Amino acid sequence: MRIKTIIKGILQIAFFIFVSLIMNEITQLFHLKIPGSILGIILIFILLKTKILPLKWVDIGANWMLAELLLFFIPSAVGIIQYKTLLFQNGLQVITLVILSTGLVMACAGRVAVAIAKRRERKRAL
Amino acid sequence: MILAALCFILTIAIYYATKVVYRKYTRVYLTPLLITPLALVIIILLGHVPFHTYNAGSKWLSAMLQPATIAFAVPLYKHFDVLKKYAVEILFGVMSGAMMGMLSSALFAKCLHLNASLLDSMIPRSVTTPIAMNVSQLIGGIPTITAIVVILTGILGSIIGPLVIRWFRIDNEIARGVLFGTGAHGAGTSKAFELSAVSGTISSVSMILAALFTLCIAPLVF
Repeated sequence: MRIKTIIKGILQIAFFIFVSLIMNEITQLFHLKIPGSILGIILIFILLKTKILPLKWVDIGANWMLAELLLFFIPSAVGIIQYKTLLFQNGLQVITLVILSTGLVMACAGRVAVAIAKRRERKRAL
Repeated sequence: MILAALCFILTIAIYYATKVVYRKYTRVYLTPLLITPLALVIIILLGHVPFHTYNAGSKWLSAMLQPATIAFAVPLYKHFDVLKKYAVEILFGVMSGAMMGMLSSALFAKCLHLNASLLDSMIPRSVTTPIAMNVSQLIGGIPTITAIVVILTGILGSIIGPLVIRWFRIDNEIARGVLFGTGAHGAGTSKAFELSAVSGTISSVSMILAALFTLCIAPLVF
């Protein structure tokens, strides 16, 4: 990787951090129910779509952060150890619930999307 | 201070090591989101490191979650034509999945005899942490418990997702994206990007839609 790309990437990540801080301020100021990150997605999307923000100004930084997204979840996952009593008392139930319910959600969302896709394909073929 | 810095470095080192192993063997249970926290928990417990010491160093990683979530705007923009084309599939898939998430969580919580506030904490668990915590508060749950269950959903969801795809023969990359984004928020989306760029993008949209849908519907229903 060239030095220039690395500097660009770091600056772009700094830009995303800056946007997220500003968005948090806005949600707090106006007591919005929507979190700053979702507002940020909408804002950056609109800026890109209207060509006010060129794609090459954010592309490298966004790719880097999305590639390492799981890393940012890890400290919160380790944080589960703070809730030992909950895990010992209800842990098995909670895990069972999460597995069964998540399986249902995924099967339902996936099958509905497949069914609609098939239906639309058939309509297009007619 | 030194210990906190050490925990920070250790987190990153273990993450990259498990990532290399995962890339080589690609078994679902080897996902870095399961193995890395597990290894860290064992090390912390054996070393008698208090969690707040661990977190003093590693909270910087959690802080990156928000800017990284905003970065989803970039693939959203790049694949916007795909999104427009499959808007109906995404919308209906997400709405039915999100509804199923809330109802089945409440139902299973009842069957498993969880108490009322624990039950309410389970309802928004499918969606991204900030919104899930917000919804939890609105309907009488405990936001911190919701945050833990959201993380559990992310970890377990990225393991269950590939199985659901196989068992229910979901051979369409649009549907695969919808399923990951609706069922396992950001962690699922990261998994969907492993399948294809299109699945990943559809998953990021689904994640956002599921969150907004849950935010609007949950306070009305529960």
